[in-house]
Amino acid sequence: MKRITDLSSFNAAHEAGLKKLLPAAGRIAVGMGTCGVGNGAEGLYHALSDGIQGRGLGFHLAQVGCYGPCSEEPLVNVWLPGKPLVILHKVQAQDVAALLDDLSAGRIPEELALCKVEEWDHITGRVKYGSGLPDLPKWDEIPFFAGQSKIVLRNCGLINPGDIEEYLAVGGYQALYKVLIDANPEMVIEQIKAAKLRGRGGAGYQTGLKWDMLRKAVADQKYLICNADEGDPGAYMNRNEIEGDPHGLIEGMVIGGYVTGATEGILYVRAEYPLAVHRLNLAIQEAEERGLLGENILGRGFSFKLSLVEGAGAFVCGEETALIQSLEGRAGRPTPRPPYPAESGLWGTPTNINNVETWYNVAPIVVKGPAWFTETGSPKSPGTKVFSLVGKVQRTGLVEMPLGTPLKTFVYDIGGGAPPMKTVKSVQTGGPSGGCIPKEMFDTPVDYETLAQLGSIMGSGGMVVMDEDNCMVDVARYFIEFTHSESCGKCVPCRVGLDQMLAILNRFTAGKATEADLGMLDELSRMIRDMSLCGLGQTAPNPVLTTLRHFRQEFEDHLRAHRCRAGVCENLALSPCENSCPLHMNIPRFLELLKADRLEDAFLSVVMDNPLPASTGRVCQHPCDNRCRRAGIDEAVNMRDVHCYIADSIYKGGRYDEMIERVLQHRFPPTGRKVAIVGAGPTGLTCAFYLAMMGHSVTVYENNADAGGMLRYALPEYRLPKSVLDDELKLIYRLGVEFVFNSVVGETITLNDLSTMYDGVFLSIGTWKETWVYLPGTELKGVLHALPFLEALSKEEQVPLGRKVVVIGGGNAAIDSARTALRMGAEVTVIYRRERKDMPAIPEETEAAEDEGVKYVFLAAPHRIVSGEEGGVVAIECAKTTLGEFDSSGRRKPVPTGEIQRFECDTVILAVGETVDLDFLKASGLKLKEKEKMLDVSPFTLETSRSNFYAGGDLISGASNVSNAMGYGKKAARNMDQKLMGAFRWPKLWPEFEYSMVPPAHVSECRRHHIHELPADERAKGFMEAVTGLTAVEAMEETGRCLRCDIREGNH
Amino acid sequence: MSGQAKVKLATAWLDGCSGCHMSLLDVDELLVALVERVELVYGPLVDAPEYPDAVDVALVEGAVSSVGDQKLAQTIRAKTRILISLGDCAVTSNVPSMRNTIPVQKLLERVYIEGADAAQAIPADGVPALLRHAVPLADVVKVDIHIPGCPPKPGAIAHVLTSLLDGKKPELTGLVKFG
Amino acid sequence: MDSKITIRIDGELVKADRGSTIFETAKAAGKRIPGLCNMKGLKPVGACRLCMVEVAGVNRLLPSCTTPAQEGMSVTIHSARLDAYRKQALELLLSERNHVCAVCVSNGHCELQSLATALGVTNVRYGYRYPKLGVDLSHPRYVLDHNRCILCTRCVRVCAEVEGAHVWDIAGRGIHSMLTCEMNRTWGGSRNCTSCGKCVQVCPTGALAEKGFAVEEMVKRTTSVERLAVVRGGSR
Repeated sequence: MKRITDLSSFNAAHEAGLKKLLPAAGRIAVGMGTCGVGNGAEGLYHALSDGIQGRGLGFHLAQVGCYGPCSEEPLVNVWLPGKPLVILHKVQAQDVAALLDDLSAGRIPEELALCKVEEWDHITGRVKYGSGLPDLPKWDEIPFFAGQSKIVLRNCGLINPGDIEEYLAVGGYQALYKVLIDANPEMVIEQIKAAKLRGRGGAGYQTGLKWDMLRKAVADQKYLICNADEGDPGAYMNRNEIEGDPHGLIEGMVIGGYVTGATEGILYVRAEYPLAVHRLNLAIQEAEERGLLGENILGRGFSFKLSLVEGAGAFVCGEETALIQSLEGRAGRPTPRPPYPAESGLWGTPTNINNVETWYNVAPIVVKGPAWFTETGSPKSPGTKVFSLVGKVQRTGLVEMPLGTPLKTFVYDIGGGAPPMKTVKSVQTGGPSGGCIPKEMFDTPVDYETLAQLGSIMGSGGMVVMDEDNCMVDVARYFIEFTHSESCGKCVPCRVGLDQMLAILNRFTAGKATEADLGMLDELSRMIRDMSLCGLGQTAPNPVLTTLRHFRQEFEDHLRAHRCRAGVCENLALSPCENSCPLHMNIPRFLELLKADRLEDAFLSVVMDNPLPASTGRVCQHPCDNRCRRAGIDEAVNMRDVHCYIADSIYKGGRYDEMIERVLQHRFPPTGRKVAIVGAGPTGLTCAFYLAMMGHSVTVYENNADAGGMLRYALPEYRLPKSVLDDELKLIYRLGVEFVFNSVVGETITLNDLSTMYDGVFLSIGTWKETWVYLPGTELKGVLHALPFLEALSKEEQVPLGRKVVVIGGGNAAIDSARTALRMGAEVTVIYRRERKDMPAIPEETEAAEDEGVKYVFLAAPHRIVSGEEGGVVAIECAKTTLGEFDSSGRRKPVPTGEIQRFECDTVILAVGETVDLDFLKASGLKLKEKEKMLDVSPFTLETSRSNFYAGGDLISGASNVSNAMGYGKKAARNMDQKLMGAFRWPKLWPEFEYSMVPPAHVSECRRHHIHELPADERAKGFMEAVTGLTAVEAMEETGRCLRCDIREGNH
Repeated sequence: MSGQAKVKLATAWLDGCSGCHMSLLDVDELLVALVERVELVYGPLVDAPEYPDAVDVALVEGAVSSVGDQKLAQTIRAKTRILISLGDCAVTSNVPSMRNTIPVQKLLERVYIEGADAAQAIPADGVPALLRHAVPLADVVKVDIHIPGCPPKPGAIAHVLTSLLDGKKPELTGLVKFG
Repeated sequence: MDSKITIRIDGELVKADRGSTIFETAKAAGKRIPGLCNMKGLKPVGACRLCMVEVAGVNRLLPSCTTPAQEGMSVTIHSARLDAYRKQALELLLSERNHVCAVCVSNGHCELQSLATALGVTNVRYGYRYPKLGVDLSHPRYVLDHNRCILCTRCVRVCAEVEGAHVWDIAGRGIHSMLTCEMNRTWGGSRNCTSCGKCVQVCPTGALAEKGFAVEEMVKRTTSVERLAVVRGGSR
């Protein structure tokens, strides 16, 4: 290798490199970072190499680092002269033959392409590849890269890290050359200061100031250290930077050495990064051979030695003083500062430590100047930062974004949001000692100060996205477990404090925490934060402090309700399905009982858990499906339809009366206590059932003439036949529950009356009032509201309906109205302002409606209803919308485009939401919340501000669904009984069921059985039930598909 | 004070050596004053079969080592206004906790089988089962005041009792020590 | 340059030697800052964190044993926050190992015990860990009882910095940190130990003791080792 000593030899190497980047025969480069290799890139590389040699092709085959999008690996980039560079993704060894066929024929295999690069800005230089391939998106046009700004990662994935000439070809070592020729170190330090480059290791201290201190320190020997001991779980930016572009790091350090007067540099690299260590060693050797490192660099008389030390495998060695201890051969334990390393560091000499990424920013600042650098990022924190975006997003990988970019850009735009059917809940930034930021705060710009204000840190740039399946208590516990095991043990707060904190968090996740623990957790966190010796201890409590601040409810749930909503904490749930069920049905039990052919026992199990099993079996939103572990194998067990089958079989089987007697056997003796329930909807009925079972005398007040609430008056006959509901009510009547119909509480009877007449009152009024919307034309004849429309029909009243009906809305009420109107002979269009996937309605219902002939128009917001000459509706005008920014629900906000669409129609049904009777709420004198729209109750007991008055369902949650509503009724009954009787009698209500608690030897391999829809044209003709349930054989097969997650070691 | 109802005081002896009770009796002339203002309703010093309701103050000596200790501690807590852990065993678990690193079964075998010359058997009848650990009283129930010491100094006990009788919050900083 | 500087401690003006730490300055002025790891004549390590103080204008707490006093500094030794934190630190230490004071050779002469009394620690709110730890009886004259060790490293430092034998060090990390003798030898099997006993005398608790002493009998002569350490020129 020829040493570079002057401009001509420098340029010669530059040219030689360009020939490798843009060879006449074309180039194929395989992304072979650790990530690529882990995804099979090595096999791919060898297959390509064999193929090229075997066929005698002239392509230049190279290894490159990683280009960033982890979820697209393995990546291959191909270039043919005159054409753009094309990044191919998810390339497999079996694609190689076809790939080489294509390339040798001068074709780019566009079906494998992710994006193209026409020209790349390496910052220190530019490479023009070519143009063409108009169908391929440019790299920064695909969502993952949109908004990214590659300064640190300028060369990663494009040049061969093992070839110094390729680095020279893209302008490498020019900055060093310039600095050595200018021979003005102070000016360089001024430039770094002016660029306000801040330490990228997380603390964010000004690099220029640190350099200045080292330059001014008087000593024979001074050291520069690069901290590449990246130890955060889930963070791998430094690894990829080094693996992709080792010379970029070396150049930064040599410049640093020259301007600070340091004589020696040390790279402290994590030992668990063998590939990075290998490439860096190779690069050091190459740079020395070329005269770019070592003695007399570039012939300018400056010498700088660089050596590599493999880290000791301790997270705490990321702390600079511990790192120095480790380099000196001692155990990595931090020492107090002062003295600071700039005065007395390695071997007692002045030392400067910077993170890998900080060094990568040096050459670009030298070449382009500080003014260019400060154009990117925020005023206080210019430049970019590389983040590893991982967790519950659709696209993961390394992203380099300007500092100050809002969090939501990372989560939604780059990451693509949560996986289907899930919602993002929080992002944890900064590695194990960072904090968790809730989705409501995703507008937060990601910079040092703002993150610190929220109790988090930038750290090394980890970004872990979490969704509703993550338990925040468990998340906090996990991170404390990590920092606890990585604590060096030197100082008391960190060593013992974290151990005590972990013990407390373990009590939370095991459901054994006490009220005192909650306060102690907070108190310990503050003490450890303020009293610890080094950054590890000072930041370790961040995950606890932020989850306590933003997700306190989850801690309280674990503590007071012994409940883990995410279903992560195993000790707090029977099984994932039970945990997700608002009624907490023991699903594995009824499945097992039916499997053992014990239909009547299965019914007893079902009905004791859920007094309306056939109704919910038809209309429940089945959250259990989303949590079923069987879905990881094929599809979730069809739990809802099995319990519907069980209930239907009993109701129709002729032994229902005997079953009722069996249920009544479990009833507690009369207590003499009297309870009133207001509202005979699913919530009130559920509460009535349980309170009556516990021996109380129950009276239900209902303003309609019959019981059932929404089940009777809002759900159309084709979804829930009234005869099914009547069957279920039989049991409640037999329990002796009294009903007072046509009675309006607040008018015919007051709350004070109830208070004097009863020992306890439960309020469960549904959401019958339509939400007021501003829409010109709503007063017109022919404009209907969904619920009154459905209610009138269920009462068999005459409703005048036109021929062409437009339904506005995307919820279940909208779909029910549409399918009902269709059955009345109308032509129906549903208009919804967002996209189909955003519709709150049950997807099966949406599809069934479409099959029957309902048309959908998405991304359209009603603008005005147009009246005809006779005052009726003739059309509705809608504004087309596009999807704008993400709102706090994680969905994109519809934004009107201004373009108006017109739909001819004679009837408009508004199904845009319902609320409870606000006048009733205000007159009740009870404490309200949420802008006076809901009743304020204790979340754990459901008791209102008035003693012995409880509330549940829509009154406290807003419009919800049947199962959620019933869950409240069940919970209220449990708490009311405890208050009335002064004892916790609830568990005694359940009979002992003997059933197998042995994991099934054979789990059915059968696929999920679905209920059977009648043919669309047939069912659309009338109001007969649109589906038929599972057959006996199908239900039995479903029971065999259950994996029995309820069986765990030690619980049988 | 005469004419007013006497304050109901109880004492209890869990896993301890009774030294704390000795210390209580060691408060000298305060005993005379106490008798006028206090009625001793339960404990090893009086003959009362069951823990009475509505006790004002209870002094509990000893660590919680067995199921029996645990039950008594819970009963005391439920029926007492101010619960005081008296002495190191109740406060820190002290000497009884020295067996905590040994599994219970091994411990019993060592003592009652290996260590016994005759009648080698682990007692089962009428003896409450040992808990996995002997723990401080505060691990089992909420404790209002701690008087550490092995034994606690009579002066500290006297200070706490007179403060409470005078309706003041006792301040023990500098007055007590572990051990 | 004047060799004296003036700082303010808990509101009071105090003269200090230039170059001395806040801890030393306070002590010279008759104001004790609580501490367990710091000892005159030994290199300060800032490990126990009991001596943390507030300094006006600095937004975090500083260890007084390693922070130099500077002209014009205003130091607070006692505040509600500091007192609460110190109590917590003591509770943590007491919960960490098996400090059964009643049966300890150092009962009544223990720095941990007397600090608990002085700071009003009457109980430990954190769960006792009850670790199973050994006692090293192999040395003919001394005993090492890990149950009482608080990992202050005074013994490590006095042996390395004053005696020059470097018998002691800390092995393991985090909560599993343990005092260790020469790469895990027994004390009796040590090749470097001169049996000088300095480690025993500086140990603030009953972790290191002389054999033949019963409960309450072991009285440490820390100050005489301090004097020696200063003469030997251990740092500061």
